[in-house]
Amino acid sequence: MAERLFELLFKYRPVVFARGDLVFASPWPLIVVLALGALALAIGVTAYRRTGAAMSARERGGLLGLRIGAVAVLVFCLTGPALRVTTVVPQQNFLGILVDDSRSMRVADGDGRTRGALATEMLAPAGPLMRALGERFKLRVFGFSETLGRADSVGALTFDGRRTDLTEALAAARRDLATVPLAGLVLVTDGADNAAGVLAEPLLALAADGVPVHVVGVGRETLTPDVELSRIGAPATVLEGTAVAVELAVRAAGYEGRRVPLQVEDEGRILARTEIRLPASGEPSTVRAHFVATEAGPRRVRFSIPLQDGELIAENNAVEALITVKRRTERILYFEGEPRFELKFLRRAVAEDKGVAVVTLLRTAEDKFLRLGVEDANELAAGFPRTRAELFRYRGLILGSVEASFFTHDQLQMLAEFVSVRGGGLLALGGRHAFAEGGWTETPLADVLPVMLERTARADTTPFFTEVTVELTPAGRDHPTLQVRSGAEASAARWDSLPALSTLNPVREVKAGASALLLGRGDGGPYVVLATQRYGRGRSVALPVQDSWIWQMHADIPPEDETHEAFWRQLLRHLLSDVPDPLDAAVSVDRVEPGRPLTLSAEVADSGYVRLNGADVQATVVDPAGGEHAVPLRWTVRHDGEYEATYEPSLAGRYEVRVTASQGGQSLGQATTYFEAGDVGAEFFGAGRQTGTLRRIAEETGGRYYTPANLRTLPEDVSFTESGATVVEHRDLWDMPVLLLTLVGLLSAEWIWRRHKGLA
Amino acid sequence: MRQLVLAVALLGVIGATPAVAQRRPVRLPDKEPDFKAFNVPYNGLLTFVRLRYTPSRIGFGGGGGFFGGVNYNWDHDYPRADQHLMTILKELTSIGVRVDGTNILGADDPELFRYPVAYMAEPSYWTFTEREAKHLRNYLAKGGFIIFDDFADRQWWEFEAAIHKLLPDGRLVQLDATHPIFHSFFAIDTLDFRHPYWGQESVFFGMFEDNDPAKRLLVIVNFNNDIGESWEWSGTGFIPIDLTNRAFKLGVNYFVYALTH
Repeated sequence: MAERLFELLFKYRPVVFARGDLVFASPWPLIVVLALGALALAIGVTAYRRTGAAMSARERGGLLGLRIGAVAVLVFCLTGPALRVTTVVPQQNFLGILVDDSRSMRVADGDGRTRGALATEMLAPAGPLMRALGERFKLRVFGFSETLGRADSVGALTFDGRRTDLTEALAAARRDLATVPLAGLVLVTDGADNAAGVLAEPLLALAADGVPVHVVGVGRETLTPDVELSRIGAPATVLEGTAVAVELAVRAAGYEGRRVPLQVEDEGRILARTEIRLPASGEPSTVRAHFVATEAGPRRVRFSIPLQDGELIAENNAVEALITVKRRTERILYFEGEPRFELKFLRRAVAEDKGVAVVTLLRTAEDKFLRLGVEDANELAAGFPRTRAELFRYRGLILGSVEASFFTHDQLQMLAEFVSVRGGGLLALGGRHAFAEGGWTETPLADVLPVMLERTARADTTPFFTEVTVELTPAGRDHPTLQVRSGAEASAARWDSLPALSTLNPVREVKAGASALLLGRGDGGPYVVLATQRYGRGRSVALPVQDSWIWQMHADIPPEDETHEAFWRQLLRHLLSDVPDPLDAAVSVDRVEPGRPLTLSAEVADSGYVRLNGADVQATVVDPAGGEHAVPLRWTVRHDGEYEATYEPSLAGRYEVRVTASQGGQSLGQATTYFEAGDVGAEFFGAGRQTGTLRRIAEETGGRYYTPANLRTLPEDVSFTESGATVVEHRDLWDMPVLLLTLVGLLSAEWIWRRHKGLA
Repeated sequence: MRQLVLAVALLGVIGATPAVAQRRPVRLPDKEPDFKAFNVPYNGLLTFVRLRYTPSRIGFGGGGGFFGGVNYNWDHDYPRADQHLMTILKELTSIGVRVDGTNILGADDPELFRYPVAYMAEPSYWTFTEREAKHLRNYLAKGGFIIFDDFADRQWWEFEAAIHKLLPDGRLVQLDATHPIFHSFFAIDTLDFRHPYWGQESVFFGMFEDNDPAKRLLVIVNFNNDIGESWEWSGTGFIPIDLTNRAFKLGVNYFVYALTH
């Protein structure tokens, strides 16, 4: 509407002004025009000076101003103003028409018609658009999804591509049309790119060539009605029996507030089912799916929401993750400075857990230790480890009530490096000799812990003691460690009913970047009861209470209650999650289309977790048919100890990647990971029109952005280009309606004013 | 005459057994003392807990007497034995021990569940209600540990009947010196203990979780023994130092075991 009004007043559409340069092409010399103008002005001024009417200086100035304005408009017209624009020579130039051929074009969000059908109709060879374009250009039609291919017409496209790669499409079109005079490209797409290419590269190249890309965006930005589930994060590897939380993004439109089930399945077996509330239209919301990984091996876990009535896309209601569930016993060293019930009940809670072995070193008296759960007579025989190799054997470390002064300076440094360098999980328990009360404030461990330790000694010398009623924080409510019942609501209800604990360590603050999961209400509180953070390569957790065993023993807790066991089992697994081995293998994606590359990577370190760059790292990829393919991995140079290789699976199915590393003939270990090749279904996720991306493509190349509704001007707009074979045109501006209207307006205003004053 | 001598001798033997003192008819106070008034509040430190029960017989004299001279049986050696053991634990071990008070708790007291190790004296006089039995079963199942001490000889039968009434499926197993409880702090390599007064050879019984000797002990039973007596008189020389030392060693080991297993 605004553009139409502009065209009515200024004779041409804005694009002509944008493309053109202003020039003056008067048949008379400029000096003559200016002289005529000055003469007309002088007559006016003289006339107003001589008039005998009673006028103030202000009125005289006003009338004179109107007259000057009118003369200025006339002078402007006499100068012969015009726009110099470059336009194509008809039929001398090529125009590339790139049509999205991917599966997202099958989405029927155009009043019951698919995007593909809309594009086919819009670009029909006999249609007005193609005829208008055909009159000006030689047309080349392409279909694109993963790659770009020539098509005789849009009608030949099947809209069956599994990926949309705008970067590749634009780069390929530029290459393909490099040898012909190219006036521009017309890109017809929903913009739902899922190739993650660097779009800036082809855009810069096209802009440098002066080839504008005019973009026609099809489809709706928000798909209504539809529910879309997508994955934000999932662990690649977990220990058997671990409570896993997978973050999912739910985007829904048209079902605001509806409660729907979210189901977790492991290859057909239902692991968990919970109810979620669908968010407001178009608003993404994050939900966590909780389940326990009970089966060992690579598991394809599927998360799904049932198809709702009238949904536009059925395929985006489910998402999958390939999770490797490890069956092995992870060893945690628990060093406790005093015999106490926390030790007994912690060990008891995980005694039946095959995945975790708590090796305990207990100081029963000064220089007297009791070892529990050791592998052999030598383990910890000399007390707390004195070398990194000895300490780094363990994947987790629990520090009980033991004062910092027990350790040597090097041992304190080792404790910090256990987390930051080795990547282990450290859990600090509360107690008489823990946290600030144990003199830990000025030690390297104070940096590692997720909580702030008090720096000033308390004026009151009596030991601090308070009972704390524990409550979940919002972060704790969703945290897998604290899912002590099946379902988040049941877990939260259980936490609300647990008896109070007590603390000797008034820890009130968590560090920036740490998460407080449990807080305790007590005298002078709230106090931190459970906090966690990533630190360096590892993780640190603080539990500054002294008697979590109350959750097992309290009179109100029935003997069969498993809350205490579940809490400890999951807390220790949280501690062990993502703890690296000396050799770790990974893949860049857990599912890839056959024929598409993925990156195999490995991180290699020695037993002291010093990263090694000169190792010989080999991967053996076992394909679904059992064939083995040797793939050497190379050091990336970007990071110490990081090795990579690219691999392209050809068969659909599950692949096993076995990585071995050695240095100087000595084995550094082996690691196994998995991926699958098959339909990724990417086209059904994020399939709404990506207007931002499409506008960017147009703006950065000098093109324009259109919707199917405003395509009328496309053929003319495409003509204004400096690319290809062009001619220069001058388009007169002196006869713009706006000039006439201005002139008439100024003269009328002057006349009315004069009449009012009795001068006319 | 010979029969008289035999009768007197028999009476002498009977009189020498620990049960005789309680059989005298007595006039008991109308109201029991408020035993909880002697307790200290929970603060997380290891606190000695003496299990109180309604004794099958009651009287004056004998091992008790702290509460107005009445012998409640469960109170034998209270409070000195309790205090002395806690002092020894504090001196010898790194345990955070409470030495400013000890607790007396009934089996039906919810507060008992804050103290996962408890001591019972004279268990041959032990009686309990069904509610108390339920509490004790839960206490043991959830992780509690009870030390039975101070009984001998024929008193076994009463104790055995009581504990089997409490835990019908539980089996009492005689322990030998290899069990970890005898090595949790001190290395006690032989179990050649004798009752400090009557001289019977001591026998150590245990009852295991799920009756599985590989699992933790739920109870330890000092039969034909009275280590509480040695704890009580340890400061006086009334009982030989060697015996006292060995009694303390058992006590320390029992508590360290209870704190770790």
